[in-house]
Amino acid sequence: MTFKDFYQFASPTRVVCGRELLASAGFEFAKQGAERVLVVTDQVIRATGLVEKVEGGVADGGLEVAGIFDDVPQDSDTAVVTRCAEQAKEAGADSFLAVGGGSVIDTTKGANVVFSHGGAIPDWEGVFQLPRKRDGMGRPLPLAPLGAIHTTDGTGSEASPVAVIKDSERGVKVLLLDFPLAPDLAILDPESTATLPAPIAAATGMDALTHAIEGVTSTEWSPHGDAHALHALRLISDNLERAVGDTSDEDARGNMLVAANLAIAPTGFGATGITHSMSHPCGARYGVPHGVANAINLPPVIEFNAVVSEEVADQFRDAAEVLGVDARGGGQRIGRTLADHVRELRGRLGLPGRLSEVGVPEEGISRLAEDAMGEGSTLVNPRQPSEEDFVELFQQAL
Amino acid sequence: MAYFNDAQEVYDTLGKLFVDLAEDEELAPKFRKADTIVRYEYREPESTITVRLQEGQPGDVDFGESEMEPEVVMSMEADTAHRFWLGQVNVTVALARGQIKAKGPVAKILRLVPLTKPVFPRYKAQLESQGRTDLIEA
Repeated sequence: MTFKDFYQFASPTRVVCGRELLASAGFEFAKQGAERVLVVTDQVIRATGLVEKVEGGVADGGLEVAGIFDDVPQDSDTAVVTRCAEQAKEAGADSFLAVGGGSVIDTTKGANVVFSHGGAIPDWEGVFQLPRKRDGMGRPLPLAPLGAIHTTDGTGSEASPVAVIKDSERGVKVLLLDFPLAPDLAILDPESTATLPAPIAAATGMDALTHAIEGVTSTEWSPHGDAHALHALRLISDNLERAVGDTSDEDARGNMLVAANLAIAPTGFGATGITHSMSHPCGARYGVPHGVANAINLPPVIEFNAVVSEEVADQFRDAAEVLGVDARGGGQRIGRTLADHVRELRGRLGLPGRLSEVGVPEEGISRLAEDAMGEGSTLVNPRQPSEEDFVELFQQAL
Repeated sequence: MAYFNDAQEVYDTLGKLFVDLAEDEELAPKFRKADTIVRYEYREPESTITVRLQEGQPGDVDFGESEMEPEVVMSMEADTAHRFWLGQVNVTVALARGQIKAKGPVAKILRLVPLTKPVFPRYKAQLESQGRTDLIEA
């Protein structure tokens, strides 16, 4: 195995994992310095009664609930972030607790930046743009305490230093990446996914699978990232189908929360690949849910990447072995076997197998390929694709 | 010690490369697919180059003050920029280490990175023709 010229790794989020933790949300969040908490969620989650349990847990820990912001839509945007930050100020909050999926958590991260540093989201767009000491080169200035209770099994946003927020005015997705964006606290409790519908559990689980496989095989892979991603794959292999097949299986749901949390670790430092490059424009242009798009796009990408070198083939071999897939042979065979395994898993989970089934038209492929070339993940893919390669990959996935 | 003594040296070398690329019939249309205006803010020495990369627009390149309003701002030491165009800097690593800071929709610029590879020998040849082999060997 190569000793890398450079990589960095940090896992700044304190993870608290187990059963019946929602009742002690306040007890745990107090340790991060929270006193008056704005709970951020969406109306779907609020309707499940989960937020009331969290509220009770916050109060039980001696903290005050300064307010509840439940106005986060499925695909949140900068205007929502601004409103959330304003509500936090008006309510005299000093901290944020996100209860929801990726959109809720990313909205909360953005609101925390605006609340703590002022301005608006576009002011902070980019990589390492949060204010720092030493003329921007030193230690980042702190944000308000942020806790997160994830209610799906996929994005890993509760532990990542990244937020992606739509700017409806400009018609773009705004990326913020900086260390302080990683929440201070993540509470992983299977009660938080008790009402997650099986199709969403399937799709978000495939998102976690994609994070883990791309984390191991990206040019930005690292031994630290592998340690997280490979164990995530073990957990996904043992628990994803159980969690989807029987949504009352609390062990499986809990293990999938852990898997998603582990799988995000390498991607927070850029270890992704072109499955994401393909899936982002599918979502932006045709509204394909991210986990579904990843589940469809991952197999052809595995076959495309696995043949590029012996080293990359070995990385896929590591992933395949952990998933219990026959990993003998060269890159082409490993790629095909692993891709078939993902296709079969996707089928057993009841997810769509083709982009054409989820609204992507053939005439949209050239534009999707162009978009995919412009994705940051393309730069860190183990095999550099051309636009023509993307056209071929999209055609395979169509 | 920094490669460049003053801003003028940056404009004479890196700046000239940008001007030449903006006029290149083959490469310029590809770079303009980024559809943005990018400002490179260099330190040591302080210098600024603003480039218009917009389809259907002229490939303007301004040194120092510019009336062009940038959408993306890339800041780094001038040495990092010089080493990048010599093919010696991995952009993803430089971003990860904070050696390059990117403000704005950074993906618009990252999409150009694969296009820059053929420019590396061209920059080296330019420096040789300018009698600045000291910048290559340093």
